[in-house]
Amino acid sequence: MGEVKLFFGPNHPGMHGNFSVHMYVEGDIVKRARPLPGFLHRGFEKLMERRFWYSNIALIPRICVPEPDINEACYAMGVEKIAKLDVPERAQWIRMIVLELARIANHLMAVGGVGGPIGLYTASYWGTADRDRILDIFEALTGARVYHMYIVIGGVRKNLTPKIEDMIWKTLDYIESRLPDYENLIFKNRILHSRLKGRLLLTREQALEMGVTGVGLRATGVEYDVRKVDPYLFYDKVDFEVPTATDGDAFSRVYLKFKEISQSIKIIRQALEKMPQGDKVNVAVSKGSALRRIVPKGMAYAHIESARGEYGFFVVSDGKNKPYRVAVRGASYPQGLYGIEKYLPGTRIEDVPLWLATMDVCAPEIDR
Amino acid sequence: MTNSMNDVVKSLEGFNPFIEEIDEREVKVTVSPDRVIAVLETLKANGYSHLSLMTCVDWIDDNQLELVYILFSWKDGGKFIVSTRIDRNNPKFFTVKELWPVARFYERELHEFFGVEFEGNDDMRPLFLELWDEKPPLRKDFDPRDYSRKKFPDRKYEKDVIKEAKIFRGEING
Repeated sequence: MGEVKLFFGPNHPGMHGNFSVHMYVEGDIVKRARPLPGFLHRGFEKLMERRFWYSNIALIPRICVPEPDINEACYAMGVEKIAKLDVPERAQWIRMIVLELARIANHLMAVGGVGGPIGLYTASYWGTADRDRILDIFEALTGARVYHMYIVIGGVRKNLTPKIEDMIWKTLDYIESRLPDYENLIFKNRILHSRLKGRLLLTREQALEMGVTGVGLRATGVEYDVRKVDPYLFYDKVDFEVPTATDGDAFSRVYLKFKEISQSIKIIRQALEKMPQGDKVNVAVSKGSALRRIVPKGMAYAHIESARGEYGFFVVSDGKNKPYRVAVRGASYPQGLYGIEKYLPGTRIEDVPLWLATMDVCAPEIDR
Repeated sequence: MTNSMNDVVKSLEGFNPFIEEIDEREVKVTVSPDRVIAVLETLKANGYSHLSLMTCVDWIDDNQLELVYILFSWKDGGKFIVSTRIDRNNPKFFTVKELWPVARFYERELHEFFGVEFEGNDDMRPLFLELWDEKPPLRKDFDPRDYSRKKFPDRKYEKDVIKEAKIFRGEING
């Protein structure tokens, strides 16, 4: 049987977002694969240079759709590093709570995302439904469900009220009570085991050579997490573990995400207890109206551990009221481009969406 | 600067670098273009083995392009921003795909967005843009508004209500 070229693109229902892979297949086996991004290129890096420092907050959440808060946080942290700005302590705790809530939401969606390609639709329905509870918190806190524009340069936009704190406590209790059900019905399910166990293996050396971060790396037994290695905000003041696995297969990657949900719940609870009270949650970079504020000359790289791995913003300022250059490090750049080309050959066609789902290839952050 | 980063900075002294401390765990190292690969190799051997980002900054007033490599160490959490400046009119540099395979894609991206040529990297096909016919778009002298006005000019549109009503009634074919 000869080699057939198969275009696996955004119009395919099994595709994970607006991304495409050109595959050369023989029967069911992928012989060669070529990633082709670009369907979602919106030119964010160029657009950011043409907008004011503060206006960019409204633009950048759109770089990554499932977890938009990491963009605002990275950008704000980068600018604060250049300007040597002291962010109020309460604002930093609130940022941590928002980032961890976003991580839970993204992991729930990712568990659901794996359910689609393998045919275990319960996971999709449950994940999406429980994620909506987190979006309710975001709606109460920020006024928006998906793109929050909440973390701004110098702090956060609004204070966390006791009513919303109460809502967070209740939602966390609810999600925690759901976790045993997920474990029993989804992670002990035969469909999930037979489709994911031992598939798409990655060794520790391959993962480190490729430059993968996040669960893709931790599933190979390395305890590398930016929150632990290079602590930002107050991650060094809370107690949490970094779950790891040694199998390096698709199942352990999904299972690690599930385990991280309970760690995030732990972090948010500690943050809510340790957070100081007060009204001051933001400071200005410089004087004047928000559109005219300038940032001193300099460059800095700020990175955080997103749900998919290391996510970073490289910010350059030339001392004017607009950024000189902003570069985005998408967390799924290595596994989405190099990983597809190198590690997909030899797998079956139906495993390709599993690579995209379990390695968290996110097209919008590759294209930008 | 942490102690372990201080040791690494000392091992770079032979390359005549310009050291700038941005943060407690972030250091910028500026070197001349011919020493960049050696500096990167030294840093990689010292534990800074993760290439976080490779990017470029266009300094149009100095007529230079600044290439930036951000290296991260999983051991001590330090970041090194290795930077060098090359000529803007003839931007040529060497590939680092032997050190980090993923750099191949970063270089492809920089070739597309900044027009930098990387010697040793043959794969310079466009990655994100299709049928691009202008200068590299992330250069400072490229104006996206002018480009879209030229590429997609405004068309005159006059509303003819009577004709539209006739089409709607089915009296004429629209």
